[in-house]
Amino acid sequence: MYNVVNLEKTFGTETVLGPVSTTFTPGKTTVIVGPSGSGKSTFLRCLNGLETPSAGTVLYNDQVVNEKTLPTLRPKVGMVFQNFNLFGHMTVEHNVMYALKVIKKLPPEERRRIAHDVLERVGLLDKLKAYPRTLSGGQKQRVAIARTLAMSPDVFLFDEPTSALDPEMVGEVLDVIKDITQQGFTSIIVTHEMGFAREVGDDILFMHQGLIKEKRNAKEFFKNPQSSEAQTFLKKIL
Amino acid sequence: MQLFNYERIRPWFNYLFEGLNITLSLAFLAAIFGIVLGIILNIMSRGRMAKKIAFAYVDIFRGTPIILQLSMIYFAMPRLIGSIAQTYFGYTRPILLTAFTASIITFSLNSGAYISEIIRSGVNSVDPGEIEAAKALGVKKWYIYKDIILPTAFRNAFPALMNELITLVKESSIVSVIGLQDLMRRQQIVTSQTFMYFEPLIIIGLIYYVVVKLMSYLGHYLEKRWSYV
Repeated sequence: MYNVVNLEKTFGTETVLGPVSTTFTPGKTTVIVGPSGSGKSTFLRCLNGLETPSAGTVLYNDQVVNEKTLPTLRPKVGMVFQNFNLFGHMTVEHNVMYALKVIKKLPPEERRRIAHDVLERVGLLDKLKAYPRTLSGGQKQRVAIARTLAMSPDVFLFDEPTSALDPEMVGEVLDVIKDITQQGFTSIIVTHEMGFAREVGDDILFMHQGLIKEKRNAKEFFKNPQSSEAQTFLKKIL
Repeated sequence: MQLFNYERIRPWFNYLFEGLNITLSLAFLAAIFGIVLGIILNIMSRGRMAKKIAFAYVDIFRGTPIILQLSMIYFAMPRLIGSIAQTYFGYTRPILLTAFTASIITFSLNSGAYISEIIRSGVNSVDPGEIEAAKALGVKKWYIYKDIILPTAFRNAFPALMNELITLVKESSIVSVIGLQDLMRRQQIVTSQTFMYFEPLIIIGLIYYVVVKLMSYLGHYLEKRWSYV
């Protein structure tokens, strides 16, 4: 699905990522973990062109990710952000329907049907007419997930989806994400929730100082991390 | 001595009051054209070459007095266009521009420059995260600008826009110098007919003040109503 070759990202003289190479297979859930500033988010953002790589390439189904392919690629790659990034001037319903209108060009009835469908899946059908400002953090993130889900993407990218949430709201969002990973979507998740990573991750991708130190089966990774960096990291947080 | 001679000014009430028509239509039309122009300038400021033109435009219109701009458009432009038309197209009839048209043109061009700055600050206040989310969904640049950036920018800039409209109502009094019969000009005419200064000035002053006050209340009301809650 994704094939990343020698990907590098530098800001000025500072290299924040790479060079890294890896692949992602369809249907699997990969969780990216690692200390702060290890380049996890930058890596994820290179996958849908929100960051332009300084060197190397990202291939999506054998197609290079660049300015030319992004318009067709982005609707297939859904992204959920740390800060939800809902459209503040639109109701929940319109947030979800907007891309269906301007990208998929679906008729209004179809858009509404899909919106109600995905909002029901995240348990927020009663908030259709509410504006984002009136929602709790957990509700906002569930709307953001519904907005992504409505496009029925092939891949889900989650960029620290629970980091901006109050602790009591983390659970409801993780439940929704777990539901998605169990539907057979391909998901790539950057998170600091280790328990969650262990529970939903097929693979763990461990990053340290901009490099991929380890990529292995989740159970094995937590039981027996290979790299010394991963060992120190796990010791610190578990 | 009587300070306010009601009996003598009474017959002029209607005449003075009708000046409000001119003042308000001028302000509203200039605001509407100004907003359109402001958006065009804002779009231009996103292009590499067009940006320089937009900048020069805003710079010139903000850097010169509006009375000069008005004189330029009312007195100088028709002559200039006339002589160009004559030289290149052999058109010999005089180019006519009414005071009202010249005023609308001037105030639209002028407020366009100011409104483009208001829109710019509104655009800067849009959450970059929302733009990123739209990008990630695959929304094209123009749609992001039209559907996400502009609506949010206008909402954020609404108080400043209302302020600009109020400024227009007050500053439009400048058009009295080219003889357009707005509130201000009518006071001058009444004064020249009756030698009364205080009475007509007080009356148009009150009209200006009440209109501005009503507009500012309307602004506050809409501001509250449009906060998304």
